Amino acid sequence: MRSMNSEGKTASAPQPAAGEDASLLAELQSGNQPAMATLYDRYARLVYSVALRVLREPAAAEDVLQEVFMQLWRNPDSFTAARGSLGGWLAVVARNRSIDVLRRRRTATSIDNLPLVAPGNLADEAERNTLMQRARATIQQLPREQRKTLEMAFFDGLTHSEIAEMTGDPLGTVKTRIRTALLSVRKAFRP
Amino acid sequence: MSNSRPTPPTATAPPSSGHPSPEDLVLFAMQLFPVEQAETIERHSAHCPVCREELGRIHGDLAAVALTADPVAPSDAARERLLAQVAREKKAVTAAASKSALQPAPKPTPEPAPRPLADFGRGKGSTLIPEPVVIASSRRPPIYEWVGWAFAAAFAIAAVVLYGRHRTLEESIATQASEIQRLNARAADSHQLMDALTDPQAVRATLTPKTPPRGPIGGVTYNPQKGALVFLASNLDPVQVYKTYELWVIPADGSAPIPAGTFHPDEHGSASVIMPNLPKGVDAKMFAVTIEDAGGSDKPTKPIIMAGS
Repeated sequence: MRSMNSEGKTASAPQPAAGEDASLLAELQSGNQPAMATLYDRYARLVYSVALRVLREPAAAEDVLQEVFMQLWRNPDSFTAARGSLGGWLAVVARNRSIDVLRRRRTATSIDNLPLVAPGNLADEAERNTLMQRARATIQQLPREQRKTLEMAFFDGLTHSEIAEMTGDPLGTVKTRIRTALLSVRKAFRP
Repeated sequence: MSNSRPTPPTATAPPSSGHPSPEDLVLFAMQLFPVEQAETIERHSAHCPVCREELGRIHGDLAAVALTADPVAPSDAARERLLAQVAREKKAVTAAASKSALQPAPKPTPEPAPRPLADFGRGKGSTLIPEPVVIASSRRPPIYEWVGWAFAAAFAIAAVVLYGRHRTLEESIATQASEIQRLNARAADSHQLMDALTDPQAVRATLTPKTPPRGPIGGVTYNPQKGALVFLASNLDPVQVYKTYELWVIPADGSAPIPAGTFHPDEHGSASVIMPNLPKGVDAKMFAVTIEDAGGSDKPTKPIIMAGS
């Protein structure tokens, strides 16, 4: 049974500093298992939620969860703190890997060597919850067609051609809607 | 695609400017292009700082979109499975390292014979050293040398073993600390859930379909003072890929319905919404479930699938 848990809970444990991700990643280099457990506890819910949203199948989503974190364990170099937010990077990697599973293909390109301008400090649970609420509010406020098109592309992995075919909208309109929706998200996070 | 013009890609930039269009960069970042087209943009962006910078911003935007997925915690089994796999791979590395450590050391090249004591200081032009005195009797029997080396080796092995145990204990303590922290968080969640369910002020409602007897059924436990809600449903039909069920709280004061979370039924037709973010102090006249586009809606769309008060 799928459930939707509250993200509004107050955490009694001390919140981690943003820079702590970098030191935990450094610990992974030397094979420190507790560091891996800490990173998992911090980001597993985010990674799993994204995978589950795309795949809609808990077992498949857990496979992606396992794969993403094992990639981090085997090759912590694939992400460096200089490239931005580890949480954001994991979320995007989880989405991309899930789409690969959905479409039964391997990733054509990789974001491993690309930077990621973080939407905020995802290492901090309280701030992560705030960012989630802001992201949802922003998406809800998008015009219906923009929101629908963005979600079809991001969570369902449909190409612009497929979306155009399904909705009957011109190809250019679909591409513009996706970009405009993302710009609205950017404006909400980095006004 | 060339990198001859370092102007940032804009919506008005013609394709001849060398950069991919901003729309194409977005599709590339979302991995929605066919391989050939993606490779073309990848080659370009590898050498174009302007496009790389924009891709970084797009990836940040995509990370923000990812945050809109309904938060769901993975099972405990998933955590155990990952940590077991991590431990296995760690052991494999450790075993490989130990194996290489146990390989016979290469045969040492014979050292040159020790110089007689009298040779020390006998450099060019030295005049400070007396005549050579070779102390032949100072050479120890071979058995004593071996005993010394054996002791040294034994101490080295003991040190390595103790260091290994120390690391294992440290890791074990840290793992347990992490586990305690996780269990504390879960206990807090459970406590909050039990509070909501057992609070005497909680309102309980059963949602039943109006017509079909074997249709979906749902139950709500709602505490208006705390804004806490637990919804359980069964016999739900699957929804289309781009649709989702959405739960609504219909306020008693006649104001607009409040979205209380989207959900999808599992393979058995069961689903739940646990403690969604709701405003406190809203008395509910009734609860309803509708089918909306994926991602949910800000107002309910008819028909109402289930309703109850």
